Amino acid sequence: MSRKTDEYFKNVPMKSYDLIKEGLIVFGVVSVLIIVLAIIFSSPDYPTVRAKQIATYEPISYLQTFTDILLGKSEISNYGPPYDNDVKNTQSLFGIAPAKILGTTIPINAVNDFVIDPLTRLAVIDKNVQTSLDQFKNASSQQRQVWIDNYSKALDNATAVNGKVQIVNGDYGPLPVMMNGLLLLGRSGLLEGALQKNESPYDFYNLNYTKPLLLFQGKVYHSVAKSLNMLGEDWGIANETGNYPGAWWLWPYAFFYQIPSVSTSPNGDLEVGLIMIGLFLVLLFLPVIPILNKIPKWVKVYRIIWRDWYKR
Amino acid sequence: MNLTRKTQEVIRDNMSMEDALPTKMPIYVNSFAYIFGVITLSALGFVVITGIILAAFGPQWYHFSNAGHFVNSLHFWGVEVFFSALLAHLITKFFMAAWRDGRWKTWVIGMFAFALSIFEAYTGYLSQTNWDSQWIAVQAKDAMNALGIGGFFNTMNTGQILTLHVAVIPLILVAFVFIHLIVVRSDGPVKPLEKKDSGRKK
Repeated sequence: MSRKTDEYFKNVPMKSYDLIKEGLIVFGVVSVLIIVLAIIFSSPDYPTVRAKQIATYEPISYLQTFTDILLGKSEISNYGPPYDNDVKNTQSLFGIAPAKILGTTIPINAVNDFVIDPLTRLAVIDKNVQTSLDQFKNASSQQRQVWIDNYSKALDNATAVNGKVQIVNGDYGPLPVMMNGLLLLGRSGLLEGALQKNESPYDFYNLNYTKPLLLFQGKVYHSVAKSLNMLGEDWGIANETGNYPGAWWLWPYAFFYQIPSVSTSPNGDLEVGLIMIGLFLVLLFLPVIPILNKIPKWVKVYRIIWRDWYKR
Repeated sequence: MNLTRKTQEVIRDNMSMEDALPTKMPIYVNSFAYIFGVITLSALGFVVITGIILAAFGPQWYHFSNAGHFVNSLHFWGVEVFFSALLAHLITKFFMAAWRDGRWKTWVIGMFAFALSIFEAYTGYLSQTNWDSQWIAVQAKDAMNALGIGGFFNTMNTGQILTLHVAVIPLILVAFVFIHLIVVRSDGPVKPLEKKDSGRKK
């Protein structure tokens, strides 16, 4: 042994041991256990939720996603950093908002990115969409607001018949053509691609799904999550689809979201994040934290662990 | 100063072949509590092997291949066993006050490995390219953004998440685990608590 271990284990009786044999036996047993678990229980793989399905089976919810964006009341509207510069909703504690430090690193303009840009691509192959888009862009902001308000209200009372959205006649300007264009784009399966495309010379390869994910993160995703018991009040991301244990090691994290004062706080995410960082620091420095580092001595579990030693 | 000679001296003082690959142990190392560390390590090895197979075939292979789905199941259950053993390891080491006699380094390095494991599992869920990935990405982004991390770590940028999951974090995690093991073997197993011990770091 080294000088250090020679000194530490002086006068301690030793027994024969085989590290490699023990390691191989444990690895073998653990491997068999995992293989058996995988054979019996398999693993979850719930398919993705795509715009095509939403546009086909929930066309009104699909269109409401876009009208909410035009109304400025979607989850991404005025989100703040890192997506835009509007900081009034940014979470802060004691006047400090960490999100502001790096600012807008992933710029998102909800109306342009989720409505105008995909329609601009569709307009290349559909001149009606081009005409409507021009009409929308050239209208005054007041006029646009009237159309959007009227269409949005009408959509609340709309019916879907054979996948087609029927709304009562009204003053909607170019919105019916635009919305129908977005609906067709969704049904064709091309919406996600249209959202991802940008003018970068390297855009042929795109592994960034920020925009397609942000678009339906609100009511649509929540509705799917609710049906699968994956909402925040159901311990959120610590859960998993199906009857699987999920990421149970996140239970302490999910737990704090169950406390009413945190779950309703506008700064809840920041509060829980800081609590978790604090708990980690407690664990990290536990050997030198008074009282906590004496708990093992008090609870005496060590007497069970080393019971053979104490019997000597 | 001869750096090579100095390094030789540090290794000689802290690690012999008998320390690294022991053929004898103190007799107090005779409890089920000692098995959780090696179970954790075995499960980690299993997860790395299945992860290499999954990475070699690409992130979407397992959706469309029975063999791929089975390897994914092995990876999934490997992670469950890993975290179960890790938690048992952490709890037993806590009740043994295993940080005594200068072993606080082992505790601290282990804690960093624990935190990295959680981050690795988190990016794994985000890399599944299924509904769970979609939902976790949009839910978790708010916490990341609130903490100011979202400005450079984007849960919805699958390219970034995937390279973190299959390369960056595993390399750092395995390095931490390796250092943890070196320190464990260099110091040897901590002596049992005696009545006069206070449980504090010495």
